Amino acid sequence: MLEVNGHAYELPADAGTTLAEALRDDFHLTGTKVACAEGHCGACTVLVDGAPTLSCITLAHAVDGAHVTTIEGLRDHPMVASFVRADALQCGFCTPGQIVSAVALVDATPAPTQQQIRHAMAGNLCRCGAYPKIEEAIRTWRD
Amino acid sequence: MELLRPSSLEEIPASNSLLLAGGTEVVPQLRSGLLQAERLVDVRGLVPQGIDGTRIGAGATLAELEIDPQIPEALRESCRLAASPQLRNMSTLAGNLLQSTRCWYWRLRWPCRLHGGDECFARDGEHREHAFFGNGYCASAHPSDVAAALLALDATIETTARTFPLADLYRLPTEDDRRSTTLAPGEVMLWIDVPEPDASVYLKAMERKLFGFPIVGVAAVRTGNATRVALAGAAPVPWLLDGPLDDATPLPGTAYKVEIARVLVRRAVDAVASR
Amino acid sequence: MARLIRTEKEVEGRYEEVWLVVDEDALDQWPAGPGDVVGRPTQRVDGFERARGEAVYTADLYLNGMLHTAVLRSPHAHARVTRIDLSRALALPGVHAAIGPGDCEQLTDLPSYQGAAIAAVCADTYAQARAGLRAVELELEVLEPLLDADEAVGRGQLLGEQRSRERGDVERGFEEADVVVEGEFRTQVVLHNSMETHQAVVQWVGDGIEVHISTQYIWGIRDQVATGLGLPPDKVRVICNYMGGGFGSKNGADDYTFIAAELAKRTGRPVKCALTRREENIAAGNRNATIQRLRIGARSDGTITAMSGEYVNAVGWGGWVAGTDGPMHLLYACPNVRTVLHGAKLNLPPMKAFRAPGFVEGTFGLEALLDELATKLELDPLELRRHNHAEHDPVDGRPFSSKNLLECYRRAEPHWERRHEVRARSTDTVKHGVGMASQVWYGGGGPPSYAWVRVGSDGRATVVTAMQDIGTGSKTAMAQIAAEELGIPLEHVTVSLGDSARGPYASISAGSSTIPSMGPAVRAAAADARRQIDEIAEQKGTPDAPLEEIVALLEDAQILGKGARGPNPTGMQVLTFGVQVAEVAVDVETGEVWVERLAAVHDVGRVINPLGASSQVEGGIIQGIGHTLSEQRLTDPRTGRILTTTLDAYKLPTIADVPEIVSELIDAPDAHLTNLGSKGLGEPPIVPTAAAIANAIRDATGADVRELPISREEMLRALRETRERRGAPAAV
Repeated sequence: MLEVNGHAYELPADAGTTLAEALRDDFHLTGTKVACAEGHCGACTVLVDGAPTLSCITLAHAVDGAHVTTIEGLRDHPMVASFVRADALQCGFCTPGQIVSAVALVDATPAPTQQQIRHAMAGNLCRCGAYPKIEEAIRTWRD
Repeated sequence: MELLRPSSLEEIPASNSLLLAGGTEVVPQLRSGLLQAERLVDVRGLVPQGIDGTRIGAGATLAELEIDPQIPEALRESCRLAASPQLRNMSTLAGNLLQSTRCWYWRLRWPCRLHGGDECFARDGEHREHAFFGNGYCASAHPSDVAAALLALDATIETTARTFPLADLYRLPTEDDRRSTTLAPGEVMLWIDVPEPDASVYLKAMERKLFGFPIVGVAAVRTGNATRVALAGAAPVPWLLDGPLDDATPLPGTAYKVEIARVLVRRAVDAVASR
Repeated sequence: MARLIRTEKEVEGRYEEVWLVVDEDALDQWPAGPGDVVGRPTQRVDGFERARGEAVYTADLYLNGMLHTAVLRSPHAHARVTRIDLSRALALPGVHAAIGPGDCEQLTDLPSYQGAAIAAVCADTYAQARAGLRAVELELEVLEPLLDADEAVGRGQLLGEQRSRERGDVERGFEEADVVVEGEFRTQVVLHNSMETHQAVVQWVGDGIEVHISTQYIWGIRDQVATGLGLPPDKVRVICNYMGGGFGSKNGADDYTFIAAELAKRTGRPVKCALTRREENIAAGNRNATIQRLRIGARSDGTITAMSGEYVNAVGWGGWVAGTDGPMHLLYACPNVRTVLHGAKLNLPPMKAFRAPGFVEGTFGLEALLDELATKLELDPLELRRHNHAEHDPVDGRPFSSKNLLECYRRAEPHWERRHEVRARSTDTVKHGVGMASQVWYGGGGPPSYAWVRVGSDGRATVVTAMQDIGTGSKTAMAQIAAEELGIPLEHVTVSLGDSARGPYASISAGSSTIPSMGPAVRAAAADARRQIDEIAEQKGTPDAPLEEIVALLEDAQILGKGARGPNPTGMQVLTFGVQVAEVAVDVETGEVWVERLAAVHDVGRVINPLGASSQVEGGIIQGIGHTLSEQRLTDPRTGRILTTTLDAYKLPTIADVPEIVSELIDAPDAHLTNLGSKGLGEPPIVPTAAAIANAIRDATGADVRELPISREEMLRALRETRERRGAPAAV
């Protein structure tokens, strides 16, 4: 059984199914994006027991029993509004993964420094270059 | 394919078992065809994860180690500078030590020597990310920052079968045996024993500021008057530097790495000398 | 009112004279400065959908019965298919169809670059399609590839003709020069790597076809698919509500759209064909490599007397020859300029437009050599640029519709002034320096583009378009324009876009053309609606009543306004300008480069949304930094096969690579350009970044960097050469 955003889902039959495939294709939670499918870009980031994890290279069966949080489970988190306010997105394809990583950061460190932000967000690529405003959104998320 | 989650190490089937911990190498390699497996065995709950004196559980994640104040700085820093935050959350010490080269010829499954073929395509090809030591047979570079740090720290590995210096985990591939690691089938790493040094440091050169494999990584560890230096990104295996860098055997396209290594070795050795 | 005119249409620097039906553009521009909505920082109207993961991109689309496709692409740079048998693939579970050379135009049995499509299999799942592909029996004869650009030019293997452009007398110009500098500059192949890969979902519906595609040009896809499939264009519906980046790579239908269409026809099902990230790095297009052999001559007072350039664009197997020579012709007032430009046709994946194609590469060479000239002349680089400022189009003397480059230079002065304190921070191992570069590019857009504005009794307006928003925030800008013209709050305006069946023709979102092309059409449509509402108010005898009061009379009736993009000003050159100042630090022992600060001043006419505009500037600069320092598509030198197919090997900038960015937009409306006076901003910010960084590195270290990317190896080489030139002892 997979627990995603507080709901129970059946594990996919094929043990080779990745968590990203299960989320998107089986559970129709397409907020989590797949951009590289090899663990290099961070677009597929979800939280597994609160830790940012690459769902595209995680087997769904391996997180049986863990708490999985996707962007759908964070839709009302203040970080979302902070990203929109700061214009911390352009095409938006990497944005769900960015927000998931950002939420994990501020859960652990509510007022991160620039260095802490950069260190925590280095695994989320953004080709549009929204980085400066992503930094600002994280810095000002409680405003 | 099946995924087994046994409740003890003894339950791991003796054959046909590909061990899975963080999966950051195993899963992408399975999907790209670099690995084949009928059966994966999830060992995350079975391999020690904590710290017990100078012993670190082979199942400890890099994320746990990067913030641990007890462990030597070179190890902590090598974890901190490795990969990305997500990958550090997922990957274990053992998995990191066992990771494969990033050599594009190998990764793209060109029929090179490591794949059982008879040519090293990097040699006369594009090899700017490749080795400058131990590269006579295979020019690939070992990408693990953590392995270089542990090698310099003279760590010892305890597996289900034996206890041995970390250096013996690795071997240069040869014509009759193309493997670069020495674990036997079914052998599982349990603990890494890391003696406490007087001072240690890890310096890393990367193409971008974060989230990259080492162009070259230098670990320097001083215990008393003796300093051990090990290099990442320098050879097909983590490389203990026990002679001058003048002994390096760079390819035309890796000579610049030796230049960088010279500087980082000097800086690292100076740094541990003065602490 | 529509009329037929002859006008100049420009996209990505390519001009054509066309007959066009255009509407008048009779509106006066708004006065300069922020209005009620336009010119004020505005959050993206679709920000929450994107941020929450609710936006459905083509990658997220599922249609009932949709099949997945795997494409067999040539692993070799040059090959011939000697045998292909699809029967075993067709026999596998889940496979519905398989096609090969001859089954559709995009499948070839003579692949001339790695990644050219040979066959395709569609199945219930992607895994089954991949398994089907593995079951295709394929035999290839590997042929010798042509990979070297200079060799191709020597052999005459070119894309199109050699392009020569000349003004004045270059020989005499060089004779008049007191100082001549010359150099060979090389830039690398760069890959777009949009986060959403290229993909389409195609479904035949009745006698027509529906194409859901991640695209920059809904109407171009419609045209291409209609022509390609022999359909009347109105039987082709193209839909793109959200797309995950393009940067020039998604202007066309490419092969996957037609492959999906053919498979959809054979199976009677919707078919998705999506590129994997590896395919994206191999066959989705690229900014081609260039070789530039440049010469600049000047008098000792800094007046440039002659410039010449020989350019080779290594375009690959196809594409077009971008204007690498453009900056040399357009930026400075020099009367004697000669360029020769070749497109080398090689067995490499074809180039595609990539954010200011040609001009990024050409500005690097020109502006870096210009700084070498400044050093030789012992003149300040900013002064040198000012001294050679062109008041009129230096190519043909036409006036500019607007040009505020001198103002950009003026506003760059405080950033340039910092160079003394920046240099003073240098130590023995880490040197600091400041460099600058000028920017010129297009951005005027053009007709046609259309919009409708619908106002109902609730006083709210819908802007009806069939445009696309590729992430630039153009949807938001259109909402602002309509709100400003109607005089209603932004929250009362909705913009619909993304569907060619549900709106009129819209321009491409490339060439920095969306706001200057669609914006005036939206304003005209809103103005038309406003005029109708005013007429009703007049008839009612309450001409000064607020809009909400008048439209409250409508009940089910609606006001429908329509608008079109008018013609461009004739006899004028429409360009954008700017300057960037980079501050760098260089570790002279390890070759590491930090870009610490980057100041950008750009002149793009009136700015509609300062918030979205600053994001464009930052995004362009960051892509420029990647281009300058870490990105490079590598190939095996012997076979031409691509080696950097994944995002660990192809190194995009991360958040940690971003400098402090200070950006300023002049925001002076172009009085001659449309009812808005706005130019496009997508491309200008990437144009001068590489040159500014290279010049800053020279300022810091004295090293001449003439190759991109400035990798560790290149930086160390340049530093070594500098030391040798200076006769200094070898380092370390």
